[in-house]
Amino acid sequence: MGIITVLWEKWVEFRRDFYKITVAAMISPLMYLIIFGMGIQTTSHGEPYLHFLIPGIVSMATMTGSFSAIAQNMSVQRLYEKALDQVMVSPTPLWQFIVGQIIGGSLRGMYAGGVILILTFPIRTNLIFNGLSLLILFLNGTVFATIALVFSFLAKSYTDAPRFTAYIIMPMSFLCNTFFSTDQMPNGFRQIISLLPLSQTSSMVRSIANGNAPGAFGFIVLLCYLFIFGAISVLFIYRKKNL
Amino acid sequence: MIELDSLTKRFGDFTAVDHVSFTVETGEFFGLLGPNGAGKTTTISMLSTVLLPTEGEIKIDGQPLNRNTPKQKRKLSVITQEYSMRQDMNMEEVMEYQGRLYFLPRNVIREKTKELLNMTDLWEYRKRTVRHLSGGMKRKLMICRSLLIEPEILLLDEPTAGMDALSRRQMWSLLKKLNGDNMTVILTTHYMEEAQALCDRVALMNRGKLQKLDSPENLIRELGAFAVDEDEESIFFQNREDAISYLRESKNDCALRTTTLEDVFVKCAGQKLER
Repeated sequence: MGIITVLWEKWVEFRRDFYKITVAAMISPLMYLIIFGMGIQTTSHGEPYLHFLIPGIVSMATMTGSFSAIAQNMSVQRLYEKALDQVMVSPTPLWQFIVGQIIGGSLRGMYAGGVILILTFPIRTNLIFNGLSLLILFLNGTVFATIALVFSFLAKSYTDAPRFTAYIIMPMSFLCNTFFSTDQMPNGFRQIISLLPLSQTSSMVRSIANGNAPGAFGFIVLLCYLFIFGAISVLFIYRKKNL
Repeated sequence: MIELDSLTKRFGDFTAVDHVSFTVETGEFFGLLGPNGAGKTTTISMLSTVLLPTEGEIKIDGQPLNRNTPKQKRKLSVITQEYSMRQDMNMEEVMEYQGRLYFLPRNVIREKTKELLNMTDLWEYRKRTVRHLSGGMKRKLMICRSLLIEPEILLLDEPTAGMDALSRRQMWSLLKKLNGDNMTVILTTHYMEEAQALCDRVALMNRGKLQKLDSPENLIRELGAFAVDEDEESIFFQNREDAISYLRESKNDCALRTTTLEDVFVKCAGQKLER
């Protein structure tokens, strides 16, 4: 099945670049944890700020891990290596290629989030991360892998991938419920930001971490993004005349 | 059988391929010739579904070919002009990826990989990453990759570009052998002697349009089998006697030779080609 082929390709890539991928996944989240969580020791809603920060950082790590795994790779494969041509010519159904990329990208995001969870494990926070948290993080990864696919199909040069990161990932990292609650934002802006996928993911993962049940709204938002961007990427790969 | 029906590709205002129609029979060795920018690579890219036509249609054995026809695509394999491979994979991984994309069993992939890499003297470098291979090795690997799946139709876009004379001859022998096994081969080249040596029929393209389509022998016969080069011009004659009489009467320095496919193309397109 084509999905397994793509996952195998992702595994080959992961195995070869294991150290680079791991270090890249750790650096910035770890910096944020050290600077904001441990360096500047504050409290939020009567709790240590680190308790607020960790779920947000883990969510952010899954987002950046998934997005960069697909955006960079696909842009290079499509525009520089022309390796996507090999897939386009092959009888592998292209929707399976897309699904494989989304799952593979999400797993890379999960790995990045998992590394952060392991690193924060020695800090006794009593935060809860369970199967539902992992499901939400996986869903978050699929959303950003799908967004990355769409942008990599739109990229005109392989230098566009870092630009997409600067335009989309960087603002979301800072605004979407990672470092501070969106509740403190002005009306209007708050509603827009809260509809972004990372805001919902951080909010749901944080709810579970604090022993509360996540609302269904977050799932609906993430599934909407997944469906819309998934449909666009399938449409692009089948219909885009100059891929 | 491959049918191209009024195939057109536009990039904005620029028409790269302009209502090109022809048929390639099963087991035929077919050449697409033309200077740079003639539309050869664009035509191959449409045949491999990497580009979609603006107008027109491609059929294989009577069935339309597009990105959503895996059964038709299974018959095709492409060797592109550029090294279209994952640069960070090693040779074995490139071959395995190809085999998996075509749903070949793993034991078949392993056996065929060994056979093909041995045949092209690449086996001992099988763990070497693509980005560390020489241009010639990459070209050979692309051939191995396309043959792994035993295609019915092989599309080759400038397969000998940049190859030395010996490698080019080896490539010709291999292509002849594959075609002898009833594989349909469509080759683009701007080397006219290559097309003349290999192709059953050739389509001459220029500025996206199909100019002529026939066997190299017929095209040469139509122009005149003998050529007299006089100054910077060539004059063509149907028979040797006429050419010799012209030589005798001429007051300029002249040379008699047989007409080549390049002469046909130069006459047709009005452009000098790369030798």
